[in-house]
Amino acid sequence: MRRWERWTAAFLIFLGVGAAALAFRMGFGGLRHPGPGFFPFWLSAILAFLSFIYLFPNLGSHGSAGSLWQKGAWVRPSLAAIVMFGYTALMGELGFFSSTFLLFLSWLTFIEREKWKTIGLVSLLGTFCFYLVFGVFLKVPLPMGILF
Amino acid sequence: MMGFSLALTPTNLLFGLIGAVLGTAVGVLPGLGPAATISLLLPLSYAIGNPITSIIMLAGIYYGAMYGGSTTSILLNIPGEAASVVTCIDGYQMAKKGRAGAALGMAAIGSFIAGTVGVIGLTFVAPPLSAFALKFGPPEYFSLTILGLMLATYLSGKSILKGMIMAVLGLLLATVGMDPVTGNTRYTFGLLILEDGFDFLTLGMGLFGIGEILSTLEGKLKAELATTKITNLWPTLKDWTISKWSVIRGSGIGFFVGLLPGGGAVIASLLAYAVEKRVSKEPQKFGQGALEGVAAPESANNAAASASFIPMLTLGIPGNPAIAMIFAALLIQGVTPGPLLLREHPDLFWGVIASMYIGNVLLLVLNLPLVGLWVQMLKVPYSILAPVIVLICSIGVYSMKNDVSDVMMMVIFGVVGYVLRKLQFELGPLLLAFVLGRILERSLRQALLISRGDVSIFFTRPISAAFLAVVALMILASIGMVLYKRRKANPSP
Repeated sequence: MRRWERWTAAFLIFLGVGAAALAFRMGFGGLRHPGPGFFPFWLSAILAFLSFIYLFPNLGSHGSAGSLWQKGAWVRPSLAAIVMFGYTALMGELGFFSSTFLLFLSWLTFIEREKWKTIGLVSLLGTFCFYLVFGVFLKVPLPMGILF
Repeated sequence: MMGFSLALTPTNLLFGLIGAVLGTAVGVLPGLGPAATISLLLPLSYAIGNPITSIIMLAGIYYGAMYGGSTTSILLNIPGEAASVVTCIDGYQMAKKGRAGAALGMAAIGSFIAGTVGVIGLTFVAPPLSAFALKFGPPEYFSLTILGLMLATYLSGKSILKGMIMAVLGLLLATVGMDPVTGNTRYTFGLLILEDGFDFLTLGMGLFGIGEILSTLEGKLKAELATTKITNLWPTLKDWTISKWSVIRGSGIGFFVGLLPGGGAVIASLLAYAVEKRVSKEPQKFGQGALEGVAAPESANNAAASASFIPMLTLGIPGNPAIAMIFAALLIQGVTPGPLLLREHPDLFWGVIASMYIGNVLLLVLNLPLVGLWVQMLKVPYSILAPVIVLICSIGVYSMKNDVSDVMMMVIFGVVGYVLRKLQFELGPLLLAFVLGRILERSLRQALLISRGDVSIFFTRPISAAFLAVVALMILASIGMVLYKRRKANPSP
């Protein structure tokens, strides 16, 4: 069993036990009158049990250090996640138009490393097209910010 | 005839057409399967308002996406969706030999025939199954839902244990928010955003839309079109002679596998390919560009796509993530799929079935001439497509409640989906379980109230007991399989 599988199993057991404890506090009720915590409690207990089985056969063995990612493969997905979180954070503040322009700009610059001409053209045209299609034609109430 | 009179109204016909074309267009794009395609286009169906028109469009998106997947398999050697993986083997070889037209043509015609066979089956199987399901009470529903989830985990991936963990996690996620009986909040941690629970669209788009983009970003999508000139799409008489039985066998296999929750198009196409290779007089041709190797799996995955509507429409059990998306869309529109659907909404039931007959014809008539357009679409670099998909997902989720925090939640689910993929967990059982979570909890609590806390109600009622017996058999079979494999790997001295 690889090390990351053991960590995953351990995390899931922790999640199951924690969720079961919270569910019990919600009100377990009984078989005659199940409370709000009844169903989540049993689910959490099953989750912890299944995760324990996932961990169990290899408890005694040493985990091999097989990596989840090939060298550097995590960089682009991580950058993309950061860009998307940034986009969401800025959307409400700056408004749809400006934040979408920044999304295109940062995506094409940091993740795809496109040429400047492509970055500029796609960012401007892309933002404008999206605004036109969704904001103007489909009348989706897009978030308004400092600009528009 | 009621169905056809509804499906043939100009509005429904137009939205069926839009769904089929949009589904094909997004399905053509590598890395986006039917579930992601439907999640991307789901907000469009909300805008329609009318549930019949809405589901006609969603069904069109679904089988359009299934159809579109084969184009990338044949021309790029990249499956547009999982059910087209086997089509790559012989389809791409045919394209490299200059027979892309024949491969695409046979995939389209095979899909049309199989899709029509599937819909005919749906027409005749669904009403009696619906009538049978009317006998179900809460205990039967509880056991049936458990069986559906078990089948979904059993057939969805390599590890049944991991599939079960995902299903339980999905059920647990469905409990977040307000308890439907007492109104108490569960797992909200005082956060207002969690009080209504997680939204299905946010979860689906995150796991399948954003998650797939993050996975695809790990490697550069380098693909070369095998050919840009597509000629002779209509199969020759020789092609027909070679592949007619493959289409028929593929249709039959696809229909029966598609009926099983969790079976669906992926297993159907793999099974059809394996059977075709087994019965062929020249199995050595497979892998070198055999037309039967395209016709059989493509027929099977389309027949399965039609058949997978049966458990959803009649029993209220969606069999795969894409159908789960349609199921959730119907719930949001105020329609509960299940045995009462045929009685309460016969117009919707027959309208959808009729629209599938029409949709199959539309796909055949439209898509063969549009192959050139799909080829042009494949030339758009993924570096531009990826942010476009992110934006469509974001606008879709935002437009539900005009709340940016929903978009944030979608991105979080996207990251979770990506990590789970990396850890080799199947996401299908999680999504299915999330959709079925409320039904499962409601039927469990109702059954316990009816029986005054006596759990034997699940084992003493014959239909419920039969479902649970199948579940027990599946668990025992999977334990036996694990033990057998372990013994084989470490033979005792």
